[in-house]
Amino acid sequence: MKLLGAVLIILASTWAGVEWSRTVSERSRQLRQLKAALQSLEAEIVYGMTPLSVACSHICRQVGHPISWFFDSFRKKLDAGQGTAYEAWMESMEEVWKYTAFKQEEKEVMKQLGATIGQHDREHEQKQIKLALIHLEREEREARDNQMKYERMFKSLGVLGGILLVILLI
Amino acid sequence: MEEALRVLPENVREILCQYTEMERSTIEEIRMRINRPLEIMINGKPNFPLLNGQTYFISKDDSSQMINKLSHYSLYALEEELKKGFVTIEGGHRVGLAGKVITLNGHVKAIRDIASFNVRIAKQKLGIAVPLVSYLYAGGWTNTIILGPPQSGKTTMLRDLTRIMAEGDNVRRIPSAKVGIVDERSEIAGCVLGVPQHRLGDRVDVLDACPKAEGMMMMIRSMSPEILVVDEIGRKEDSEAIVEAINAGIKLVVTVHGTSMDDLHRRPSMQGLINSGSFERIVELSRKDGPGTIHAIKDKTGKEIRRKKVI
Repeated sequence: MKLLGAVLIILASTWAGVEWSRTVSERSRQLRQLKAALQSLEAEIVYGMTPLSVACSHICRQVGHPISWFFDSFRKKLDAGQGTAYEAWMESMEEVWKYTAFKQEEKEVMKQLGATIGQHDREHEQKQIKLALIHLEREEREARDNQMKYERMFKSLGVLGGILLVILLI
Repeated sequence: MEEALRVLPENVREILCQYTEMERSTIEEIRMRINRPLEIMINGKPNFPLLNGQTYFISKDDSSQMINKLSHYSLYALEEELKKGFVTIEGGHRVGLAGKVITLNGHVKAIRDIASFNVRIAKQKLGIAVPLVSYLYAGGWTNTIILGPPQSGKTTMLRDLTRIMAEGDNVRRIPSAKVGIVDERSEIAGCVLGVPQHRLGDRVDVLDACPKAEGMMMMIRSMSPEILVVDEIGRKEDSEAIVEAINAGIKLVVTVHGTSMDDLHRRPSMQGLINSGSFERIVELSRKDGPGTIHAIKDKTGKEIRRKKVI
């Protein structure tokens, strides 16, 4: 009976550790997706001159959740045609942000991009998206460093913590 | 009209909803200028409508709403249109733009800070070209020039003639034909995303916003039209392309600025074309009894076939 309890505790804490480490790797995964999405938005704008709502529906199909939710919500708001593109962008961010692993820095970058989206000519739009991409690149590098540093640590912490708990309880 | 309402700012739309259905169908233009009153042209007369008992002044906000709606929130997508100064919207209506122009190497690059909008309501006059049919069709369509001063309804006439040619006419036993349109100024077909907004029949192919001379050659090479329709020819390279088309066995229907056949003889780029006798019919329009008055129909020697006023 004691042994079963000990195994359960170790399993549970290991699982907690894995989950914890996933949130770290999740951020860099989502950052990669967001970058891919913005890159294809850039291509749609610069080479296709596609209107935003059409471009967003293309992007939705290319990237995974939760990034696609953001573009989907943005597209729906544009099609409804109320207010400005910036308002639609900000509202979509509010809605979707809680499902993402992003931090404050990414929010700032996206906010800046939203302020100019769809209001300038192609060159200007391209510059703004490039700028956002550079910022995201930096965040991604940082996220990757964190991932390397902490991912393994959280996992082993989970296992070792479980063992510690078992030893203390015995 | 309904399509045009969709791109208007909310306040302006509200004002237009005050008009009755009947009045609304007679609106020709809706003009908006920032900080100046809204102007609506009905039957050639300006109207300055009221909102809540006051003359309505167009605000900056109205203008940015309008731009957002015209561009679907994507200004970059309007680059070509901002260069040309107008946007064609669904229904074939046209929104003319004016404001601060940006140039690059002496050419217009775009209009920025748009301060004036002019929504011109397109009205297709179905059947306006029917009186012409018996003169222009004799076992087959003839090469035709439609001649007239500005605002005499040349393009409207050409559009309806195109429709008749492409649809055919069961009563007169005229079979339908493949028609190619080179629509440099997007006026004949009024295309949105390449799809004609006016009723032109099922057998029409349109090269939208394409330079005429080049477009005619493209059509001949790739689309094998039986009839080519071109608006406002006049430059030297147009004439060359026309000679090419006629010798390729394609029938041509074109419009030209001018009041009478003598004007054509005086223009060096047109002289050759007229003298070669390639054009078997010349239709002269005038504005005497309103746009679309048929002044005369002449054959290639300049002899009149008919002289009667029809509206």
